[in-house]
Amino acid sequence: MIAQLLLTAFLAFVLVYAWSAHRTVPIIGLLASGAALAGLYFVWVPEHATALAAFAGIGRGSDLIVYIWVVISLLIMLNLHLKLRLQLDMITRLARAVAIDRAKESRRDASPPRKRRPVMLGRKAEVGPIQVQAKK
Amino acid sequence: MTGRIRNPWVVVAAYNEAPVVGGVVSGIRRAGYAVVVVDDGSTDRTGDAALLAGAVVVRHPINLGQGAALQTGIDYALEQRADAIVTFDADGQHSPAAIAALLAALDQSGIDFALGSRFLTGATANLPVSRRILLSAAIWFTRASTGLPVTDTHNGLRAMTERGARAISLRQNRMAHASEILHQIAQSRLRVIEVPVNIEYSAYSLGKGQRVTDALTILIDLFARRLYR
Repeated sequence: MIAQLLLTAFLAFVLVYAWSAHRTVPIIGLLASGAALAGLYFVWVPEHATALAAFAGIGRGSDLIVYIWVVISLLIMLNLHLKLRLQLDMITRLARAVAIDRAKESRRDASPPRKRRPVMLGRKAEVGPIQVQAKK
Repeated sequence: MTGRIRNPWVVVAAYNEAPVVGGVVSGIRRAGYAVVVVDDGSTDRTGDAALLAGAVVVRHPINLGQGAALQTGIDYALEQRADAIVTFDADGQHSPAAIAALLAALDQSGIDFALGSRFLTGATANLPVSRRILLSAAIWFTRASTGLPVTDTHNGLRAMTERGARAISLRQNRMAHASEILHQIAQSRLRVIEVPVNIEYSAYSLGKGQRVTDALTILIDLFARRLYR
């Protein structure tokens, strides 16, 4: 009975984990939920686990539960791998934004400052030759 | 510049290419194109060499991979109001003369992507047999998964219009980006053309190229990408 309660607690935790994973990686959430529910069923109806294990050629129902647990662990590992990739996506976007901003900044710094026309008080500004030609 | 293309930019992704990147940039600048080199967190003086040769240099603070560097270059070029973008390898195996051929292909109305192909003319020099077999497998895989009748898949020489570039968003940071870009081109339903280009393999570029084991990594990356949103 103690083992059954402990396993139930563990598998309930996996169900909650699967629910949270479902939002980002639907396939992992679905598979982990399926595996956890199957595990819960076999924990409380072990004779069915034994019958299914015998049918599958595994031998004992407890071995079948161990195998299900291994599958759940692998799915959790795969999910962690995918989460790492999502984190890498975010790091990439951040690094890209930093790189482009720095490049634009250094181009701005490198370009010579605009020359201001000297203001001539009391005199009409001279008209450049190009404008004179344009008026002809 | 040709026809409707007024402001083309060449994007070069470079990681530890200091010995050759200066020559590559000089060649592109001599041909008359603006060039942005994305220094992908190099530990040598790649960025400085590119800057000296006349490129705009965008430096990733950390090494992210060629796919990430190309997307950064594309984003930068679009911010500079590029109306066409050419991707070009940093290892010196591409010829600047190919840029004009790719841009001329984009000048045809309705074409948004011009992809360089090594196998349209058979002019590619020094391609080893193992690399040829690997590329044939990649071509078969790409044709089956995208439906695009391409003759070359992992060729870094590509040109795209601004509309094409905006349809591309590379999330495969490493080498799988070459397959990803073809998938995104197929999904965009924009028109594609292949242009024969000559690739000159040298001992340097072969040393930098992909190996058979990399193909497995690319397949895993492509599969993993499909699992999450």
